[in-house]
Amino acid sequence: MIFDNYTIVMTGIGGQGLISLLQILGDVLMKNGYKVTTAETHGLSQRGGRVVCFLRFGSMLTAPIPLIGTADIIIATEKSCILEVLKYSKPDKSTKLVISTYEEKLINVEYPSEKYLFNVLHENSNNIYLIPATNIAEKLVKNPKTANIVILGYIVRFLPLNEKELENSLIQKFSENILSINLNVFKEGLKLK
Amino acid sequence: MSYNKIVIGKPGTEKFFLGNEAIVRGALESGIDVYTYYPGTPSSEVGEAFMETFKKVGMKWVESSINEKVAMEVAGAAYARGASAMVGMKNVGLNVASDPLFALVTTHPKNKNSALVILVADDPQQHSSAVEMDSRNYLKLFKIPALEPSNPQECLEFTKRAFEISRELKLPVIIRTVTMVSHARSNVIIGKIKQSEIQDDFDLSKEANVASRLYFLKLKEDQIYIRMNRALEMSENSSINKIENENVKNDYELGIITSGVSYSYVREALDFLELKIPILKIGFINPLPAQKIAKFLEHLQQVFVVEENDGYIETQVLAIAQKIGLKVKIHGKDPFAYSKEDSLLPFVGELNPTKIAHALIKITNITPKFDLNLIEGKDYELLGRIPRLCPGCPHRTTGFAIKQATAKIKSKTRKKIYFYQDIGCYTLLAYPPLSFANVKYCMGSSIALAQGVAQINGSLNIAIIGDGTFFHSGISALLNGIYNKAPILVLILDNGWIGMTGQQPHPGSDTRYYKEGFFKQAIKLVEFLQGTGALVSVITHQKSVEQEYETKLEDLIYEKGLDVLENKNLQVIVVRDECIQKIIKRYKPEVRSVNMELCTNCGLCYNQFLCPAIIEKDDSAYIKSTLCLGCGICEEICPNDAIKREDL
Repeated sequence: MIFDNYTIVMTGIGGQGLISLLQILGDVLMKNGYKVTTAETHGLSQRGGRVVCFLRFGSMLTAPIPLIGTADIIIATEKSCILEVLKYSKPDKSTKLVISTYEEKLINVEYPSEKYLFNVLHENSNNIYLIPATNIAEKLVKNPKTANIVILGYIVRFLPLNEKELENSLIQKFSENILSINLNVFKEGLKLK
Repeated sequence: MSYNKIVIGKPGTEKFFLGNEAIVRGALESGIDVYTYYPGTPSSEVGEAFMETFKKVGMKWVESSINEKVAMEVAGAAYARGASAMVGMKNVGLNVASDPLFALVTTHPKNKNSALVILVADDPQQHSSAVEMDSRNYLKLFKIPALEPSNPQECLEFTKRAFEISRELKLPVIIRTVTMVSHARSNVIIGKIKQSEIQDDFDLSKEANVASRLYFLKLKEDQIYIRMNRALEMSENSSINKIENENVKNDYELGIITSGVSYSYVREALDFLELKIPILKIGFINPLPAQKIAKFLEHLQQVFVVEENDGYIETQVLAIAQKIGLKVKIHGKDPFAYSKEDSLLPFVGELNPTKIAHALIKITNITPKFDLNLIEGKDYELLGRIPRLCPGCPHRTTGFAIKQATAKIKSKTRKKIYFYQDIGCYTLLAYPPLSFANVKYCMGSSIALAQGVAQINGSLNIAIIGDGTFFHSGISALLNGIYNKAPILVLILDNGWIGMTGQQPHPGSDTRYYKEGFFKQAIKLVEFLQGTGALVSVITHQKSVEQEYETKLEDLIYEKGLDVLENKNLQVIVVRDECIQKIIKRYKPEVRSVNMELCTNCGLCYNQFLCPAIIEKDDSAYIKSTLCLGCGICEEICPNDAIKREDL
């Protein structure tokens, strides 16, 4: 199994749909014969706090939390949130950092500068993917809540999954009124360079 | 939804289950008759799933009880009377439920079907709890068998095992989880759902149920010397206390004893260090298999005990080693040191593979694949994101009114003002800029805390409590205050539901708005309060005239606060409006947006009102449509008339 002991770290702000991503990916990976473990924390994070969750899969069940320095992919649905989880990136800089360009600024607190973020990210990885997920979701279907599904579409290229299976999973997950917009942005994510 | 997910499915198939969902499935595969609970993260999903499915699967009874003590008593009596029952709560819930449990553990039901499983979900790292506590310490106090699963599959299996043990021994059995088990998801292979075997003829004899001097000591002897003795035998022989890599020799003559989620972290850390050593994984955490542990220790020079929070297992391993005269070196927290330097593992906070790897490096001097310290040494500018009340929460305005009113009282009377917080969403008012918290302990304590200070000095003491918490355990403190004529101001922030944990119902909730409501009777909070003889004022939030309402509420708090100070009365103010999260489940939100031409960027909405949906963007206020829940309060408070409904 090439994808063994594979670790994805996800971070963002409560309400951005990270737990949905965990459920969709985990379910499809399980159906493909993988042992999957995810970890999530509930509660306060729903109310504007930062969220960190983990998805790990392979031939064996693993711990819900990985060791630092061992993640294969790190996803951030809000740009500055990546800073919290950079410690999971591998020292050989091979970890893929998939980062939404969306910024959620705070009042009276300075947001990390472009230059600072650029330097820090390049210190930690040679594989940085900046995705305008929220812009795409806003422009294409007028619903920024679907930004997480843009990211889902984008990361399919890194994972042992095919588009059709994920599409079917979206069909099962979403109710009719929001299904078409989610499929739309999913396909857009697949196409992104 | 829960029904399709948890109940449907052929035995032997694989499901992607949350630990909590696996516990529900395990109980259904054990022929459960009764589940009672009080919601609390990370245990709440269990109760919600049972609530949704219990009629369809033919269980006798499921309830969200008023508090954990009542939940324990309802389930405990059902158990004594012949039911296979389960009661669920979070860590601190066991404190509330502990009183009846002392008698309940001695109870010796005579019915074949009787079984009682107690789910206790601990929350190391305090992800969503007021305190961090290790409920395993209760196991020795109660003398009660307990199992600890390490992943969702074990959640299912251990729940079934717990029912079997309880049914056989006639002792309640605790299932202890932590957040990273209850809220982990993974592959779970399901078994067959079992129908209840409850009988209608039963023996509710005195010997089984009366905790008094006549019977209690006899029952306690029976509990300890007969039933717990058999539990010990079970633990010694149980396959869930298992040794891995038993005959693997290592240079350090080191072994590990661990349990629960810590076991999976140990595996991870050992893989990282490419170290293969014997591991004793304990699933049956009370009573511990003393002989099995002794045998495990015999072949080792040193052992590392890995567990979260307290040294519950380590203390007992130290005792076992002493008892059989072994000189084995025991690493862990050193439960007698109370020193950070001497502990290889922390007493405080969650464990993870990294912390365990660090400790193993110290013990073995192995050079790891890469330097963990180097990674941890890097420091990044993190944005501290403080959680806030939901967009549209009526009690943001309450917070604002309290601030204004108390400032006025302070400047008029020059008296000190103290705030007592309780457990619920409104705890978020304790964060800056409002900072309404001087003391906060546990569920229902605010009203009594206010009395403690009010009775000894002349300050103004204000208790802030929600309706759910008031019903849970605030009631008795209020009655105490009325009876003792405590001069305090009590604000009951009534939003109709147990908001923080996901809008579960409580006895005051509107029965029309939840599925099970039709067989419940709502208790009328205001009528109840009036019946106590307290001085009660009621104000209902009117968002259509937000500013006018805020002034009214402010005046009311000012007037009643002064009355408390001047006339030594106990005043209760009930501030009512339904939880916005519940409302939006029934109505489509009317999302607001900012007209940039009219907005002067005064900052009132994003700087003072602090709605998480409003930010500053391009020198104007900006409403994030993903977060806006359409309450419309910002439209009312905007001095420039710049905020309007998006669809207009």
